[in-house]
Amino acid sequence: MNSVIELQKMNKIYKTGEIEVHAVNDVSFTIERGEFTAIAGPSGSGKTTLLNMMSGLESSTSGSVILAGQSIAKMSASDLSDFRRDHIGFIFQSYNLIPVLSVQENIEYIMLLQGIPKEERRQRVSKILSEVGLSGVEKRFPPQLSGGQQQRVAVARAIVSHPDIILADEPTANLDSKSGSDLLDMMKELNTNRGVTFLFSTHDSMIMERATRLITLHDGAVASDVTK
Amino acid sequence: MIFLRLAWRNLFRNKRRTILASLAIGLGLSAVIFTDALMGGITNNFISTATGSWMGEGQVHSVGFRNTQEIENIIKNREKAEKILHNDPHIKSSAPRVISTGMITSPTEVQSVLLAAVDPQQERTVSRIANAVKEGEFLSSAEGREILIGVKLATVLEVEIGDKVVLTAAQAFNGELAQEMFRIKGIFDMGSRDMNGSFALIPLKTAQKMLNLKDGIHEIAFQFKDIKQSTDTTLPLWKELKATGNEPLNWGELMTELSTMLEMTDFALGLSSLILFIIVSAGIVNTLFMSLYERMFEFGVLKAIGTRPFQLGKLIVLEAASLGAISSLFGMLIAAGILLLTSYTGIDYRGTEFVSVAITDLLYPVVQIHQFIIYPLGMIFFIMVVGIYPAWYAARITPATAMRKKL
Repeated sequence: MNSVIELQKMNKIYKTGEIEVHAVNDVSFTIERGEFTAIAGPSGSGKTTLLNMMSGLESSTSGSVILAGQSIAKMSASDLSDFRRDHIGFIFQSYNLIPVLSVQENIEYIMLLQGIPKEERRQRVSKILSEVGLSGVEKRFPPQLSGGQQQRVAVARAIVSHPDIILADEPTANLDSKSGSDLLDMMKELNTNRGVTFLFSTHDSMIMERATRLITLHDGAVASDVTK
Repeated sequence: MIFLRLAWRNLFRNKRRTILASLAIGLGLSAVIFTDALMGGITNNFISTATGSWMGEGQVHSVGFRNTQEIENIIKNREKAEKILHNDPHIKSSAPRVISTGMITSPTEVQSVLLAAVDPQQERTVSRIANAVKEGEFLSSAEGREILIGVKLATVLEVEIGDKVVLTAAQAFNGELAQEMFRIKGIFDMGSRDMNGSFALIPLKTAQKMLNLKDGIHEIAFQFKDIKQSTDTTLPLWKELKATGNEPLNWGELMTELSTMLEMTDFALGLSSLILFIIVSAGIVNTLFMSLYERMFEFGVLKAIGTRPFQLGKLIVLEAASLGAISSLFGMLIAAGILLLTSYTGIDYRGTEFVSVAITDLLYPVVQIHQFIIYPLGMIFFIMVVGIYPAWYAARITPATAMRKKL
């Protein structure tokens, strides 16, 4: 097996007083290493909740997640943090870089938590910035960069520690179409050239077009799962 | 190191809020430092006034004399007691006294007085009463018919320098009344109503003859070279004096009201510091929670990308510590400025009387190193402790909840 993620009968029910909302309904699928997959669906279809559950950011009501061969169900909060740090890269809709850290420090952050020596960190930062087309901005701070540049730094931060999978939640939502398209091309290159596994949550047609597999959610359940 | 860097930089994301919060906390700290220094000044002033004006830093009496003031109850083994004091390396000076009550009569008035008889030369080395003479002069000799009275008593008796007054007191051993005429040599102002209104000073040998005491005395007042030694009850001096059959006491034991008041002052300072720290802590929790709420999404992201709950908590405690460090710096600078100023100008509470001790000199704050080490470090530690609550809150919130910005 070369699967990165295995979801089995995932459910998430939110309770508001007497009312129960089934945000995710009996979802099962597997993501193989090297996939460039998009989970699509309208707002409220459960895309983000599913992404949160598979990364341990949020607990599921039932079902299991096996990520990189390990079940995350019974991990403590600290173990989950370490697990995410070592196995998952995150890209968020609004970039979410740490504004008080420079580009270099932002990218180094996860490696610092991993205890990687300074020299190796610097080498990796330099290499990854070159790959995402941002050489020379190491000392700048996020507010000094454009939205597209910030999202590229976020991609660099996500992949620099060589995680098993990148979870990208609406990564192009805050970008203009040109920047979004460039970013997706860059991600696709990373997928093709380095075999980085991407899983998107999106309703952006550009992502859906580029994705090699498209899982569509409707009312929390898998409506279709198409490999192109 | 990354968390310390993050904490420090985070603190300056909202410069105005950080500076205002630091100034508020710093003002609180400066108030504690200044109050401590001022209390030190008041304590020193009170002790030096109480011990220096008349009482001395220690006294020797015959056992029981302080309660009954019986004129026959003179100091036992006077020579031995005086020799102990003279030879002790910690003692600067001592002076013998006769103490009695009596009546003082002027041509117009009669007043009861506490009579103290002294050797002027020795008395000058123990008390400041010679310096308190406002009119006339201090006693010139241990013999003669000179008398010194307070300004209030002079007013009541309607007497001036050179006027005659008659002292009446009971003699020792036979109980007969003795009367002697004295001439007003000086009028003093000790700042204390008791001393100015009912206290008279006459030459020692004259009093001994008048009261039939021969060579007897009732009191030896003494001063230490260093006032701190006066309350050191482990000094052999106290045992040696006790062995003479007398009762040696330090100023704290002689003026229990004063030492109790000073203890209460320490307690009040501690209590007010605690209250101030609690008020400050409410401000800190508020500041930290405001900052926390603003950055809740960011904390969710930090957790999502691999920051452990403990590390996130540590970050917030370090932010609190950084806030404490800046606040302490502000506090120390403000306190140093106020202390520098008041060290030059002094604080005028002259004329104020408390537990029969009048403040006669300007108050000067006492600056001690602990005020600029213990209090700021205590403040930083306290702020860090206060920061644990928001830190714990942020540490236990799930990343998804944080990213939904739900508090």
